Amino acid sequence: MFAIENLTLSYRDGGGRPFTVLELPALELGRESLVVVTGPSGSGKSSLLYALCGLLTPTTGTVRHEAQDIYALSESRRDRWRRATVGLIFQDFHLIPELSPLANVALATRFGGTADRAALAARAQMLLEALQVPTARRHASMLSRGEQQRTAIARALLFDPPAIFADEPTASLDAEASRLVADRLQALARDEGRLVLAVSHDPIVISRADRVLHLERGHLTETLSREEIPA
Amino acid sequence: MMNPLPLVLATLRRNPVTTLTFVALIAVAVALGVAITSQERALKRGSAHAADRFDLVIAAPGSQTDAMLKAVFLRTGSIELLKPEVVARAFAEPHAEIVAPIAFGDSHDGAPIVGSVPAFVTHLSGGALSEGRVFADHEEAVVGYASPLKLGDTFHPTHGDGHDELGGDGDEHGHDHEHGAELTVVGRMAPTGSPWDTAIVVPVELTWELHNLPNGHGKGSEQVGPPYVPSELPGVPALVVKPDSVAAAYGLRNIYRAQDSTAFFPAEVLVELYALLGDMRQLMNVMALATQALVIVAILAGVMVLLRLYRVQFAVLRALGAPRAFIFLTIWSYVALIVAAGALAGLGLGMGLAGTVSAAFTAETGIALDATVGAAELWLIAAIVAIGMAVATVPAALLYRKPVIDALR
Repeated sequence: MFAIENLTLSYRDGGGRPFTVLELPALELGRESLVVVTGPSGSGKSSLLYALCGLLTPTTGTVRHEAQDIYALSESRRDRWRRATVGLIFQDFHLIPELSPLANVALATRFGGTADRAALAARAQMLLEALQVPTARRHASMLSRGEQQRTAIARALLFDPPAIFADEPTASLDAEASRLVADRLQALARDEGRLVLAVSHDPIVISRADRVLHLERGHLTETLSREEIPA
Repeated sequence: MMNPLPLVLATLRRNPVTTLTFVALIAVAVALGVAITSQERALKRGSAHAADRFDLVIAAPGSQTDAMLKAVFLRTGSIELLKPEVVARAFAEPHAEIVAPIAFGDSHDGAPIVGSVPAFVTHLSGGALSEGRVFADHEEAVVGYASPLKLGDTFHPTHGDGHDELGGDGDEHGHDHEHGAELTVVGRMAPTGSPWDTAIVVPVELTWELHNLPNGHGKGSEQVGPPYVPSELPGVPALVVKPDSVAAAYGLRNIYRAQDSTAFFPAEVLVELYALLGDMRQLMNVMALATQALVIVAILAGVMVLLRLYRVQFAVLRALGAPRAFIFLTIWSYVALIVAAGALAGLGLGMGLAGTVSAAFTAETGIALDATVGAAELWLIAAIVAIGMAVATVPAALLYRKPVIDALR
């Protein structure tokens, strides 16, 4: 589904010296798997995630989705591709607190270019109900943290994307809420056939992974399959 | 189709105090401009209307503005008297339909008592009184439209308002005191929109008699109005003349612009005052515009700071697939809505301010002012909204290209 070839992401430090945050000769990510990316701070985890969803232009190399080099697309086409292909979930949810849960989930229908807004609004309602988010709440700020993260998951699923990318999705949650979110991510991969890529250090999430990628200083140092992941 | 409105409204709601402060600042700046232009227009219209029936004023040599303020707008203060022989000459003018002496010096309950002739009362009232009749006796009075006195009420005129305009023998200590005469209200004038609405008009003969001056007809005469006996005429502060034609008006003005008198059309004096007022208005307009510009710049700076706090929100929107144009439109709408709301609130506030000032001015001077929204105010609002919308592109242009990742990390 996603294929990385000779990917490097480099920046210049304050003194103007170049430094590389990510260097991956090759990586393939397929559907029906929950892939967890681990590694210390600054190891390139988030850079990998954002490079995969078309928000971080590589210094060298390519990121392909179904054979399409996503960075060969114009920015506006890449925006449309991302909206249709990748659902993003953030550590701090990043909901619009003044909007209702439903309006938050359906927010992307306001961006333009969506054909059937009524159908998407109905889907948003269905997703919230499936994720047991109280839709009667007037503002998203009135939801618990677990409910807010589930609202963010519903938002990521609005366009039924084949890939879900989550950046530390349980870091702001208590154990019970983390378990619910981890179960949901696992179900999105195994039951619904999506690629779920989660940057996480949470053992609850890692225990449900099909594959764990460990990064150190921008390099992939270890890959664990389902069988190799400690229980 | 892009629709950032729910997001814009949500963003506006996030910091309601700051948003309302921005709107209020713009509203106050706009209100100043609106109040100045509408008030100035109302003042011109009101004063012109008040002076409408004063075709030609003849007064003693000196300031025409001063004479107009006293004769037309009944402002208190000292004024040189026209010599009796000039008054007599004016009464004999064949091309004057009405020659009305305007004699001050008395008051009742703060309302000025003006001595004049019956024909002028009818003329000032637009041809007919609103109730009652014109005075026909020395002890009768006609009140202005807004006077609290009713038909049949009696009152004693009080000498002076600090000044004795007729040069008579007022209180030797300069104090006001009640005259012995008892006057009865017999008529009420139609509204004039001028200070005459609260005035009391009495036969000029009474005014002269109360001030121990000859009464124009001869001792003991009860006649009211012309003809007068030239040798029995005292000096008066001013004469209002209604000429029988435009040519006569200019002719009389020329005749009485002489060594012992001046003559003027109140309209021309008002035009001079308007010119002065216009200069002041221009200055105030420049100040109001500068204030508006400074407020918009200050608000722009504030909005920039505020929007930087929202940069994560905009980055998230981009990450969720929002095109840059959507971010631009959201930020632009956010600023434009603040400016438009402030401008509209300023229009209302400005009209309220102008109305309050008008009411206070009318209460103080008696000149009816009606400050209304005109094309000038609508143009001002349109210009401010247009400038605001243009200025709104600045933060939108600065922020919509910010890298997404910097804010998301």
